[in-house]
Amino acid sequence: MEFVSPEGLRLDGRRPTEMRQIRAELGAVAKADGSAVFEMGNTKVVAAVYGPREVQNRSQQLSDQALVRCEYSMANFSTGDRMRKPKGDRRSTEISLVIRQTMEACIMTHLMPRSQIDIFVQVLQADGGTRSACINAATLALADAGIPMHDLVTSCSAGYLNSTPLLDLNYVEDSARGPDVTVGILPKLDKVTLLQRISCRLCMTDTTGEYKGIRISTRWINYNEG
Amino acid sequence: MAKEQPGSPASFVDQLVVPGDVVLDLSNMANQTIKLGSGLRQESDAISVTKAGKFRLSKPNKYWVESSQKRYVPCLGDSILGIVVDSKADNFLVDIKGPALAFLPVLAFEGGTRRNIPKFEAGTLLYVRVVKANPGMNAELSCTDASGKAAEFGPLKDGYMFECSTGLSRTLLSSPPCPVLEALGKKISFEVAVGLNGRVWVNAASPSTVIITANAIMKSESLSVQSDLNLYAWMEDICSSCGVVYGDTQTPAIQPSIW
Repeated sequence: MEFVSPEGLRLDGRRPTEMRQIRAELGAVAKADGSAVFEMGNTKVVAAVYGPREVQNRSQQLSDQALVRCEYSMANFSTGDRMRKPKGDRRSTEISLVIRQTMEACIMTHLMPRSQIDIFVQVLQADGGTRSACINAATLALADAGIPMHDLVTSCSAGYLNSTPLLDLNYVEDSARGPDVTVGILPKLDKVTLLQRISCRLCMTDTTGEYKGIRISTRWINYNEG
Repeated sequence: MAKEQPGSPASFVDQLVVPGDVVLDLSNMANQTIKLGSGLRQESDAISVTKAGKFRLSKPNKYWVESSQKRYVPCLGDSILGIVVDSKADNFLVDIKGPALAFLPVLAFEGGTRRNIPKFEAGTLLYVRVVKANPGMNAELSCTDASGKAAEFGPLKDGYMFECSTGLSRTLLSSPPCPVLEALGKKISFEVAVGLNGRVWVNAASPSTVIITANAIMKSESLSVQSDLNLYAWMEDICSSCGVVYGDTQTPAIQPSIW
């Protein structure tokens, strides 16, 4: 399938290195201490933060830092075909873990010992890049809750299709089974907090300079995962 | 994004800042003492922001980030409104909208002895002062001022309590007095207790006055600084939405007593 037209335009009319339109709204959930709705094109995610509050399960309490918990879920109506999956499927457990680790890296947890911060993220509309949209939404919700942080994490995905590096993949490009990565960075500190390779098929030939960089990093991640 | 050279404090003062912004560079501020308030952190020579809000400078050298949030972080010396949750032998457990319940020792009242321990049921609203606030520990409260006098601290009877953001309660306590309270006080007589933890208690002679006052304060959250003319039009709007004509109340116009 042709993902980039000869004119250099993608299926939704974007240039290869163009992002989708982003929109953010703070304070969307009245009861939460901090909340945000984040949209990247047709991907729409809502995040709610509760805390710092007392640890619910005393055995999990940490005496030197705050406990960060994250729950990711997808609304049943978020995708085209209505899905009925059990709550704790592997994919959402994994994304919950990814979001938790990314957020833990930027929250100053040592300032809030013996407390707990809950982050709930739900995908309302899925159109590719839910992982990065969730991270962006969670960051905004944490900032809205006034939780001390080192920096705001920003995240975006990138992929490689038709010998072209593409930024911010949508659902069609995401499901084309090309290689793609999700990157989370702390822009002010200039650090990478998240680098995830999702698809398995790597193109070894024909890579541009930009893509080489990504390939090296994915190897590094594989190495770290053992 | 900051385009100005970091290190020149003037560039960030009264600007919106987000976590990660480097607002001050100490390397070009040799031989100066600066005081950092909430939301700021020192990392070797750079002072960076940890909370989103407005960067403030109180001349000559106090810096802090003014933010508004729903949850309260206990801070030494703050006057707050707490709700009694439970009473133990030595302490009352008080909800202060913070990360953990706070302790109010049963002896922390004016002339408090073992003989006369006040009895508060769960749900009692108290105007209290934070006397101990260490991270990782429950905050400790007191119903006396520094000299051991009751000084208006204690239970608040009757009236109506509502919650707002910490930023709004700070604005209500600002000096010169908050324009909304001032405008209300010119026409209506009421009593108000503002807790820095985002709780406000209002009392007045009639329920309708309480409702008007509470609505006006709650709606002033999104109100920006504006001229008096606008404020009066806005106030009329609030009053008419409660079925009252602004300035038509029979009560004498006196200043509100702000605690």
